[in-house]
Amino acid sequence: MDRRTVLKGLAGAGGLALSGLSAPAIAQGASARTLRFVPQANLANFDPIWGTQYVVRNAAALVWDTLYGVDSALQPQRQMVESEEVTDDGTTWTFKLRPGLKFHDGEPVRSKDVVASLTRWAARDPMGLMLKALQQELTAVDDRTFKWVLKQPFPKMLYALGKNNSPCAFIMPERIAQTDPFKQIGDYVGSGPMKFAKGEWVPGAKAVFEKFADYLPRQEKSSWLAGGKQMLIDRVEWIVMPDPATAAAALQNGEIDWWENPIADLVPVLKKNKNVSVDIGDPLGNVGSFRMNFLYPPFNDVRARRAVLMAMSQEDYMRALVGDDNSLWKPLPGFFTPDTPLYTEAGGEVLKGKRDLDAAKKLLAESGYSGQPVTCLVAQDQPITKAFGDVTADLLKKLGMNVDFVATDWGTVGSRRAQKTPPGQGGWNMFHTWHAGSDCINPAPYTAIRANGDKAWFGWPNSPGTEKEVTSWFEAKNLDEEKAAVARLNKVALEDVVYAPTGFFLSYTAWRKNVSGITKGPLPFFWGVSKSA
Amino acid sequence: MLSYILRRIASTLPVMAIVALFVFSLLYIAPGDPAVVIAGDQASPEDVERIRQSLGLDRPFLIQFGSWVWRILHGDLGTSIFTNLPVSTMIGQRLGPTLSLMMVTLLLTIVVAVPLGVLAAWKAGSLIDRAIMAFAVFGFSLPVFVVGYVLAYVFALELEWLPVQGYTPLAQGFWPWLQNLILPAIALGCVYIALIARITRATMLEVLQQDYIRTARAKGLGQGGILFVHALKNAAVPIVTVIGIGIALLIGGAVVTESVFAIPGLGRLTIDAILRRDYPVIQGIVLLFSFVYVLVNLMIDVTYTLVDPRIRY
Repeated sequence: MDRRTVLKGLAGAGGLALSGLSAPAIAQGASARTLRFVPQANLANFDPIWGTQYVVRNAAALVWDTLYGVDSALQPQRQMVESEEVTDDGTTWTFKLRPGLKFHDGEPVRSKDVVASLTRWAARDPMGLMLKALQQELTAVDDRTFKWVLKQPFPKMLYALGKNNSPCAFIMPERIAQTDPFKQIGDYVGSGPMKFAKGEWVPGAKAVFEKFADYLPRQEKSSWLAGGKQMLIDRVEWIVMPDPATAAAALQNGEIDWWENPIADLVPVLKKNKNVSVDIGDPLGNVGSFRMNFLYPPFNDVRARRAVLMAMSQEDYMRALVGDDNSLWKPLPGFFTPDTPLYTEAGGEVLKGKRDLDAAKKLLAESGYSGQPVTCLVAQDQPITKAFGDVTADLLKKLGMNVDFVATDWGTVGSRRAQKTPPGQGGWNMFHTWHAGSDCINPAPYTAIRANGDKAWFGWPNSPGTEKEVTSWFEAKNLDEEKAAVARLNKVALEDVVYAPTGFFLSYTAWRKNVSGITKGPLPFFWGVSKSA
Repeated sequence: MLSYILRRIASTLPVMAIVALFVFSLLYIAPGDPAVVIAGDQASPEDVERIRQSLGLDRPFLIQFGSWVWRILHGDLGTSIFTNLPVSTMIGQRLGPTLSLMMVTLLLTIVVAVPLGVLAAWKAGSLIDRAIMAFAVFGFSLPVFVVGYVLAYVFALELEWLPVQGYTPLAQGFWPWLQNLILPAIALGCVYIALIARITRATMLEVLQQDYIRTARAKGLGQGGILFVHALKNAAVPIVTVIGIGIALLIGGAVVTESVFAIPGLGRLTIDAILRRDYPVIQGIVLLFSFVYVLVNLMIDVTYTLVDPRIRY
């Protein structure tokens, strides 16, 4: 009997026992103006430019506002900006801020704050870096107007400023934004709807946000990061719970109000509790992946990479991760997030239908593979990579490969995957990871799809065809052109096997039924959320 | 005695120095890189390298070690790589919950285990003795997290008597403070209750065979007086030793207990720091723990003189 079995059994028993009870839990007397929330991970730092983890971005969205915000239709909408103008040649953008915007310290939001914030953001964000490369000047014209002059047009400007992928273009006071982008800020003043209660912050345990009385929400209905961010609660407490069984019990017991990311094992228990609601949290879900190292045999030969793709079954990967819950996964014969405008299956035949192990073995032999060890890094402390790693090891063995299965932790994988040395000398042949679906809706935030060799993400894929189509997308003038570019991109990236997609998977979120207004999205949105006693 | 205590405290310095060098070296050669964790999954290798440089992690071992020691000598444990907060502040935030948990557990252990051990020795071979020893074996065998989950299920979910998780500082009231610690203390205490009950029983059995106990009985002394005044006092040295060792072991047990009951203590801080490779925090905590170990050993030695006047330093 292992820890997970005990956890599941007891939580299950607890859920069954409680499902018929109506008595209020002892800890339920907390104020209805305070929302107690268990985030997906520990908020270990609070600089959304320096630390790009999703949990930091999620917390930062409460404290810092953005110029634009992407809505649920994935379109950037004005947020801090009142209006914008762009010259006919597309090179000069002039933005005007909404009047009356204030930082939490009472100071007005001025253009100079925006200029400093965008400068810091542009040093770290992939789209920001592109803008920086095109930049002629970024200047404050007056307190509410700033101008961005480029050497050539950048059609995705508003998307870059409003995207929800980390790092977001959050606006900070100039004095804070002047911090080196590779050093952490220590002052958490923003102009968002909540203030960060620094004095109550216990990193790894608790973070507290309090309503900012002077926040000026837009009048439009809120939609993800766009629209009016109306706070209906006064205080949000983020309580870090490393143990999922504890979080499940606390939610059932009324000690917490909202659990962002319950593990699949415990969801049936929560669904049986009449005081708890459970639903898919982020409709954009996640894309599972494993990456092969283009620098060394056997995967420096495209035939070896294709052999693996031909033999792999996405269903095996997904079942290992989510079990029998079919609402939690979809096959993904491509790289882009399903049900989004640019989704395509072009070139995806290699991942569809019955798997042809014999043909894959033949192709692998043609690549010259002769039994050398394949170093496969698998982080055991992440349920996703653990599940993927076990399936991959089995797959490689079926293909007749000699697997060097390196079972380790995520921290070590993170460090080792950056090594370009040969697999036998500290390097690697493959590792597993996953990408948030919101990062895979188009090529802009999609670092993992880039294939520019040495400058690409770990595995250093080199596929000029892929890079060409990424550029085509950036230059596309309308949605049809974008779709065509992404279809070509998907096809060529699969042909060259930039990486192996293991499937698309979703996860749940769970909350007490006295909480209302929770919306599905790529991050937990607290505006519009209310709680009754 | 005072000079002995001062000598012992002085002798902790080389121990701490060796611990410091050992921990620093171990972390230096351990795989993993905090810059990678900070940079996030989408970061480029260039970003990771820039972060490494900004944190000074690209400097040679001796320079990093020297700079760390220099800061320690000035009373500065450094700054967390991740939170940008002083390590001493972070330890201070977490010390209260861990100390509270350890104190309540220790108290519970002594109050329950010693009488049980005495009772088992007194009734050696009886059903009571067997029942107590069976409980001890049970306590040894069950992992802390299993006991924790069972307790949470019964007393929090089923009976709704106690909260599932969390910690309330003592400043907010005695009962709220204790309420959050009862289940974790029982979960953590089980193994120590078992250990100390067995040691107490074994030692008491040996003492109860001594001639002076027979003499005491012959003089007509009551059973309580014999057990708790004469026998227990003479059996106390090994029991105190085991309690002392138990304090050290409690620190390890607190890691699991704090996770199961979501208590924001030093155990969780240690695990988080290790997983993220937050070197200054790991080094600070290990130094603190090693100091506590040394201090506990010193307290045990001093306690010997109180329970056995023959021992002098």
